[in-house]
Amino acid sequence: MTSGWIDDDDLKEKKLDLRLWKSLLKYTLHYRQTSLLFLLVAFSAAGADLGFPIITGALISEIDRDISQVNIAWYAGAYMTLAIVLSVSICGFILCAGRIRTNVSHDIRRDAFEQLQRLSFSFFDKRPTGWLMARLTSDCQRLSVILAWGVMDLIWGSTLMIGISLVMLWYNWRVAIAVLAVVPVLFAVSMLFKKWILRTSRLVRRTNSRITGVYNEAIMGVRTTKTFVREEDNLKDFDRLTSEMYEHSVRNAVLSAVYLPIVLSLGSVAIASALVMGGNQVLASTLAIGEMVMFMYYAQMFFTPAQEISAWFAELQMAQASAERVLSLIESVPDIQDSDEVKQRLQTLGHDGHPDRLGVIEFRDVGFRYGDGPQIIQRFNLTVQPGETIALVGATGGGKSTVVNLLCRFYEPTSGEILIDGVDYRQRSLSWLQSNLGIVLQQPHLFSGTIADNIRYGRPESTEEEVIEAATLAGAHSFISEMNSGYDSQVGEGGTQLSLGQRQLISFARAVLKRPRLLVMDEATSSIDTETEKVIQESLARILQNRTSFVIAHRLSTIRSADRILVISQGEILEQGSHAELLKLRGDYYKLYTDQSIRDIDRIDSISLSDDDSADELNSPSPRTEKDHASLSPTVRERK
Amino acid sequence: MELESPKQPPSSLWALTQGNRLLYSAAIAVMALGMLFLLLVPFVLQQTLDRLRDGSATPTGTLVPAAAFLVTLNLLHGGFTYLRGRWSAQASEAVVQRLRRRLYAHIEALPARYYDTNSTGDIVQRCSSDVETVRAFMANHIVEIAKVALLLLIGLPILFSQDLKMGWISISLFPFIIGFGFYYFRRIHEIYQKVDEAEGALTTVLQENLTGVRVVRAFGQQEAEIEKFRGANAKFRDLEMDMFRTLSSYWPISDFLIFLQLGTVLVSGAYFAMTGAITVGTWIFFWWLTQTIIWPVRQIGRVVADAGRATVAMKRINEILGEPEESSEPEPEEPVSGEIVVRDLSFSYVAGEQVLNDISFSIAPGETVAIVGPPGAGKSTLMHLLVRLYDYSEGSITIGGTELNEINRHAVRSAFGVVMQDPFLYSRSVRDNMIIGKSHASEQDIKESALAADIHGNISDFKNGYQTIIGERGVTLSGGQRQRLAIARALLKHPTFLILDDSLSAVDTRTETQILKSLHARRGQQTTILIAHRLSTTRLADRIFVMDHGRIIQEGTHSELIEVDGPYQRLWTIQGVVEEEIQEALAEGSAQ
Repeated sequence: MTSGWIDDDDLKEKKLDLRLWKSLLKYTLHYRQTSLLFLLVAFSAAGADLGFPIITGALISEIDRDISQVNIAWYAGAYMTLAIVLSVSICGFILCAGRIRTNVSHDIRRDAFEQLQRLSFSFFDKRPTGWLMARLTSDCQRLSVILAWGVMDLIWGSTLMIGISLVMLWYNWRVAIAVLAVVPVLFAVSMLFKKWILRTSRLVRRTNSRITGVYNEAIMGVRTTKTFVREEDNLKDFDRLTSEMYEHSVRNAVLSAVYLPIVLSLGSVAIASALVMGGNQVLASTLAIGEMVMFMYYAQMFFTPAQEISAWFAELQMAQASAERVLSLIESVPDIQDSDEVKQRLQTLGHDGHPDRLGVIEFRDVGFRYGDGPQIIQRFNLTVQPGETIALVGATGGGKSTVVNLLCRFYEPTSGEILIDGVDYRQRSLSWLQSNLGIVLQQPHLFSGTIADNIRYGRPESTEEEVIEAATLAGAHSFISEMNSGYDSQVGEGGTQLSLGQRQLISFARAVLKRPRLLVMDEATSSIDTETEKVIQESLARILQNRTSFVIAHRLSTIRSADRILVISQGEILEQGSHAELLKLRGDYYKLYTDQSIRDIDRIDSISLSDDDSADELNSPSPRTEKDHASLSPTVRERK
Repeated sequence: MELESPKQPPSSLWALTQGNRLLYSAAIAVMALGMLFLLLVPFVLQQTLDRLRDGSATPTGTLVPAAAFLVTLNLLHGGFTYLRGRWSAQASEAVVQRLRRRLYAHIEALPARYYDTNSTGDIVQRCSSDVETVRAFMANHIVEIAKVALLLLIGLPILFSQDLKMGWISISLFPFIIGFGFYYFRRIHEIYQKVDEAEGALTTVLQENLTGVRVVRAFGQQEAEIEKFRGANAKFRDLEMDMFRTLSSYWPISDFLIFLQLGTVLVSGAYFAMTGAITVGTWIFFWWLTQTIIWPVRQIGRVVADAGRATVAMKRINEILGEPEESSEPEPEEPVSGEIVVRDLSFSYVAGEQVLNDISFSIAPGETVAIVGPPGAGKSTLMHLLVRLYDYSEGSITIGGTELNEINRHAVRSAFGVVMQDPFLYSRSVRDNMIIGKSHASEQDIKESALAADIHGNISDFKNGYQTIIGERGVTLSGGQRQRLAIARALLKHPTFLILDDSLSAVDTRTETQILKSLHARRGQQTTILIAHRLSTTRLADRIFVMDHGRIIQEGTHSELIEVDGPYQRLWTIQGVVEEEIQEALAEGSAQ
């Protein structure tokens, strides 16, 4: 279930950066007792492993020398003791590694998540959800595996290898060197192959996650596929992907199929060396026959830890990218956070030192750009009295949403300042502003759970009556009560069980329930039919009383009751005033709305009156529009 | 509903391997050969040791040939192991590739109704993790099981050939080792499942938080979110730890059993060597051979338990493959066109919940019809029936005089251009999304359609223009942009029938006008059905249907309907107030 997001970074090998791993190792070392115990069992496991060949060799030698003197029971006892020590060590080994592994991934994930709650939107703009998910799932998992099992195997493996080398050198340095000569080759081969194998297996995983994505798309888009008769083409695309998958998988398997025989053959070379060198010494009577068997046993034993260690080194290099990404997430500093002053005041006073009141809001020479992108707004000035309703209109991309985002402090001005009650809002705490804010978006996000849970989101402690009241005000009560489980109906993941219009109504109710002092609605009623919208309009008039609110909308019926309408284009206020004032002005606002309604009427006229094809006229801005302002369409005149 | 049974019946795991059995057999044959060489190694040791002991050994006559023989055996074993790995990978990947393809083709051929009752997540999981389970079975488990079977088949005769008593002793603990592994991994799978579920829950919390980040901030709920995540995170950790706890009893016990077996061989071999029943070489032979056999045998319990999951996975996959596909009637000779006539049409998704109720109407070729009505009136359902996403059973729909049920689905859909309420876009380039209905469209044609849908300007503003990738890995489009792109791709198809299902709800008024103009310019060339809320859209239509509770309750031209007391007039009044104000302002303005 982990996210299938794999970056190109994951396919590259990077230079080992010890600083990164050192700071990550802190997560392991946090569990000090476990780490110590873990060292202990790593040593005892290695020790027991080391003992078997010695006992075996000694037994063989003794039988070889003098059959009648052998105390088999002693050997059986020693062997059993080693077996028990090893088993207990392995048990401890798994428990310690498991404990560290699960806790480290838990801790990294916790830190990363908490950091995500602090980071500003500018951070999220650059990083898609899938990317972030992969950091907290597969990257965390992968790093914790290295930090637990990798560290463990490194300690156990090197202890065992050093131990084997020392024992062999102690018994007979000539045979020992003959056996150890193969080791550097083994390391080199292992590192090389492990890297190749890791890379192809990552390619396999990436292709696999793409295939999953394509299945997902096939199901989500099944109606589109059908109505556009795309079945064959889609299948062709899919075939290309599965062929790619076949290539990568077979290559991955073949690499492993080459690697393992090479390692085993190298192992047999070491055993053969022990046989020849040891056998010669046996013939020369400088080595017991049991010791020769012991050397062969060790030669075989050497290969598991050597393989493991080189595999971990390869993984360490390949996981460098994961480590960088996770650390950069945990260590990044939020662009927007409470200043040190505010933090201090919060600590000493319990609040940010300013009265809890939302007075006049003032944009003073505000300028803004996203990152190093183009300037979106420049020297924007606006003063909003408490309780005023401000509507923002204008074409998409004009900067309406930017103004609102700045107001909510989702972003901060890159120049100028925004004052609330005469205080720069950067002097106030973020949580204060958020607690006063209610927001309704065009793409309303609902959380999985019941409808009631979602309405309650901003004020979890509110009563059932309050929830119903808010839903009623938002025009959502009637459809909710028609549902089988009413307010306890599940909305599904992301609210998919509901239509867009219904989701908008619920998110509206959610904002209403919070009773914010500052309400922001960003195209919040676009998918709601006209009659329902009228209901909302009426309750909105009541809700907006004594509240400062900002409304972005296309529909005239939504904005015309605002106290002040701002026409915004290219980051500037072109016009402002009430609906009536702006219409009189005959400027951009007038054009924005009359354009549509008048020409529509004109067209209807031409269709219904002449019934000829008026396409030409419609394609070029009708000159009649300007001329015929006075001569109104019959329908409208009749209504008058 | 007319459905066809799938082209191929569901498969068993065995049937899946059809076409690759030769390769599989070859892989198993070379594996047997390789194994044979590996099992000869202990003989080398036996001979060498015995000669070293009786003094007949010489460095060049015994030791060097023995060493060379040892390495040669391993090289041969390695070579055959390589072939086995290569061939079994090729065979298993080919099997899985075919399975994936079959699933994909089947998913596309399943009727829309299937997706109403089955969750995407569940189907995707069957197509990914269950297929992966089958893949692991094909690629690893079959081979592992064959390997152990061969190892025992070849190894045991060799073992017993040297000494019967020692042979029995050498394998005395095997049943326990195998049984223990099997029992344990059955249990571990249960824990795995719980861990998977906990991980899924954790992922969901994370995903919801990330996609709803604005809401979280705006409502100041960061602390509550951290609390929610903390719970899921801790649960996942604890369950994973449970898994390790279980493993921490399996591995040591299993390892202990193995060392017990090896120790028994060593000690009893020593005893027989002492009594002279066997030579020291034979003793070491047994010890080494047991080592060679025992480690793979230990894995078999686990492999068999894993393999058991493959049959369950295959059953889940077969549940999809066994679902009937959409029927495919013969292709008509002429493209579908003409008058749409609907007579006494009724429809329900679920028995008893009537969505359409005895509807009759006709739409002439080239006519533009608008449909209005509250949510749940049956507007979208009617559109779904027209493009045969669902099949009707009561009443009749004819296009150009032919009953819709008898026209090939692909032919019907090819004649339609549909813009859905919530349009689906593929995560590909803008251009690829546009040409899905017409893969050989000219650049000129693409641009014109984009202009007609008023999206060309937005596309040109993207850094990569029409090559811009949309979706999560690329540019995220706004609701209005999505709708316009969906309109553009429908227009590009130059369909005989165009359906816009509430497709202008998220665009601003000026854009709406622009698009309506383009549509109007095509008037007469195509039959157009518009579902809309805004009167500015419906006024364009030749005729308007007002729907409510599955019936058409009003029908007529705009000017007719606003004169009649009814729902359409009410809509007109609400929106008319605004118009009136504008007119007043205009009148004032012109009077000045």
